Amino acid sequence: MADYLSLTDAEKRAMLDTIGVDKVDDLFEDIPNKLRCKKLNLPDGKSQQETYAFMRALSKRNRIYDSIFMGAGSYDHYIPSVVKSICSRSEFVTAYTPYQAEMSQGILQAIFEYQTMICNLTGMDVSNASHYSGATAAAEGCIMSADKVKRVVTFDNINPDVMDVLSTYLTARGIELVVLDSVDGKAVLPDDIGIVGAVYCENPNFYGLIEDTTSIAVTCHNNGGKFVLGMNPIAMGLLKSPREQGADIAIGEAQPLGLPMSFGGPYIGFMATTQKEMRKMPGRIVGETVDSAGNRAYVLTLQAREQHIRRERATSNICSNQALCALTVSVYLASVGSEGLRHVAKACTSNAHYLANGLVEKGAKLCFNGEFFHEFVTLTEGKAEEIITALKKENILGGLLIDADTILWCCTEKATKESMDKVIEIVGGVL
Amino acid sequence: MKTIYEISKSGKRAVTFAPISVPEYTLDSTLTRDELNLPSLAEVDLVRHYTALSKRAFGVDDGFYPLGSCTMKYNPKINEEVASLEGFASVHPRQDTDEIQGSLALMSTLSAYLAEITGMDAVTLQPCAGAHGEYLGLQLIKKYHEKRGDVKRTKIIVPDSAHGTNPASASMAGFDIVAVKSNDEKGVDLDELRAVVGEDTAALMLTNPTTLGLFEKNIEEISKIVHEAGGLLYYDGANLNAVMGIVRPGDMGFDVVHLNLHKTFSTPHGGGGPGSGPVGCKSMLAPYLPNPGVVKTDNGYEFSFSEDSVGKVTAFYGNFGVYVKALAYIVTLGAEGLKEASETAVLNANYLKARLEDLYPTEKGRHCMHEFVVSLEDLKKETGVSAMDVAKAMIDGGIHPPTMYFPLIVHEALMFEPTETESKDTLDEAADLLRSLYEKAHTCPEELHTAPHHAAIKRPDEVKAARNPILRG
Repeated sequence: MADYLSLTDAEKRAMLDTIGVDKVDDLFEDIPNKLRCKKLNLPDGKSQQETYAFMRALSKRNRIYDSIFMGAGSYDHYIPSVVKSICSRSEFVTAYTPYQAEMSQGILQAIFEYQTMICNLTGMDVSNASHYSGATAAAEGCIMSADKVKRVVTFDNINPDVMDVLSTYLTARGIELVVLDSVDGKAVLPDDIGIVGAVYCENPNFYGLIEDTTSIAVTCHNNGGKFVLGMNPIAMGLLKSPREQGADIAIGEAQPLGLPMSFGGPYIGFMATTQKEMRKMPGRIVGETVDSAGNRAYVLTLQAREQHIRRERATSNICSNQALCALTVSVYLASVGSEGLRHVAKACTSNAHYLANGLVEKGAKLCFNGEFFHEFVTLTEGKAEEIITALKKENILGGLLIDADTILWCCTEKATKESMDKVIEIVGGVL
Repeated sequence: MKTIYEISKSGKRAVTFAPISVPEYTLDSTLTRDELNLPSLAEVDLVRHYTALSKRAFGVDDGFYPLGSCTMKYNPKINEEVASLEGFASVHPRQDTDEIQGSLALMSTLSAYLAEITGMDAVTLQPCAGAHGEYLGLQLIKKYHEKRGDVKRTKIIVPDSAHGTNPASASMAGFDIVAVKSNDEKGVDLDELRAVVGEDTAALMLTNPTTLGLFEKNIEEISKIVHEAGGLLYYDGANLNAVMGIVRPGDMGFDVVHLNLHKTFSTPHGGGGPGSGPVGCKSMLAPYLPNPGVVKTDNGYEFSFSEDSVGKVTAFYGNFGVYVKALAYIVTLGAEGLKEASETAVLNANYLKARLEDLYPTEKGRHCMHEFVVSLEDLKKETGVSAMDVAKAMIDGGIHPPTMYFPLIVHEALMFEPTETESKDTLDEAADLLRSLYEKAHTCPEELHTAPHHAAIKRPDEVKAARNPILRG
């Protein structure tokens, strides 16, 4: 058994003597005896070698695929080597939240640079330091807009996990969540929707379709609401920025920017907004200032919004967020640069359109008519499950089975022509 | 030091991708953006920039980090290695259950172990951090009362010594907050508590050991008062590192608990996350836990769904990669090892306290648990040197300062939590440094007012930062 302790028996004895007690147990005298527990019913400890073997054996019970055509909230992108290398540095990994600015300039500057990149990517004025996931960012973005008008409108074509989390958070706050049916897979906001606190929409939506966000933004604003827009950050390499689409608050799941799928987490939600909404924003924010010698310095700022100052009147309860994931996102964006991100986005959409065309040629139908980015839904009556099973045999993870007829596919830049031709051939064999 | 944008030069790049192997697809120009401003750097520039930043940061691997309430124990390296195993890192969260038996077994095992450690009947791993766990735990409580038709229970009682997340989470969960004062022993004042509980009480939130690092001796009476009033008892697990294998929240009378895997269970804090905040509860609250749960059946592990669930609190299943590290830790230590960790955490804290308390006053006549709070109120009166000054001077000594000005009920507070993984030598060095700073406060206070002198920066102007916010480069 390893114990990660660093005391000899002689040192322990000397320490007890200094404290003035006979044995360690004497230090626990405040705990009533009848509350003390028996030995925990857990296995005995293991050596490092045994722990490794145990964990590796568990990992082997998961299936790994050669090719992945499933997205739906978790995306299989190429992660540049430099990302893992930098983000494994223990000064970043083993630090706490940067409360002591003098000792944490590296982390504070890294977060400041993250905020800058997120602002440039989204076109917004200010970004916070991160959320737990795109789903909680969406929920907190809606809450910050619906404090007075307690009514949020969204559509049935958003990511179902985001829908669930929105529902949990908004219900708790007494905010009404209105879910509108999509039309041919796309969001349509009627002019007579009535007064709203916020409208939440995703672009691309869960089906991969590119939404007419500009008109939604106008209608949302006409009805007094803030437009909260969720975007896949890879799509932002090509599509108009959230700001250009009329968003007041841009949020999203930034896992595609350098984080492994890792069975769903840890991921990272981003949030950026306008100058006007800055002081309502939840979460940590890093600001630039000067030190007493006049040199540039970074600090956690606008803390009057936060729980440790304002307690129950804080804009959010968030304390620990996803700082190391934010660092990962920054290193990813800085390593690929504008050209790299555009290339990845272009490869994603080109691959998706190639696969979609190939599947259509084999007899699949596209469920929706609209333009899509890197995900799309096919209709193959009664054959969807058979398709997925046939792909598995070739160690290909097909798209997400939505029902007996439909599959939600995704292509990233990792998809090769060869792998997509194989998918097309296998699907052709089933149909 | 320059920012990454200041060293960026267009035309450079760090990474290349495979050429697009299919006909390029062009989206309609009405949909696309013209301008995108990300940094352009060569790989070597990028690596040197971030390496330089890392040298301006300080982690547990760099030195002593006695940040109270944060449990900055050593983060074992094997935990990182196993979390990166391909079988964990490369799995899609929506794969079929027969293909993710390893992940589900891991989650089920970790939940069961945490239930045993806390004395709870069921555990969800889904919340992503401690405050997120608090939020969920309070939602369970809300649902419990609602389901019983007890709709008047709108208030959460929070001691004045509580973490700021407690009232903030209660507010997010839709509750009103009632603060209850501490008694002379810095515990919950029982008369005050009796006066505030009633038919509107949903729950009392408590840490035990308290934020003063003291065991709440009246916990049984507190539990009785709250339960007799029809309320529930919520355990903030931030301080669990003192009592693993010694006393369990469930046995103390708590109904709901959240844990911080990034504190007690050795997963690294990453400069502010990702953490993980599992929530445990007694059986009457289990139906309200978030979907999906994980259950073991004759056909292996499967997801389970409860109709009465409060809903999801994040995407997929939470910060799975953190669970891998926490399980590796628990498996390594086992029952005895966890108990020894807590015992040693308490030993280390009491030793450091014993070496300081003649100069730095703390709660008298009692042993502390895993942390202790000293007050520099007298030192400030005598010398003008504040808790902040001493904390900043510690930076020059290569030690991360303790938590400052918390809990709010102690003036000029410094809260030390050494954790179990520190050696006697480290504790002695810290004690020697703090004793020398006490002397210096009397002989040369100016040196402390202007500390740190050898850090990356001098003290920053926080007022300027908040008044004229510059939040991007």
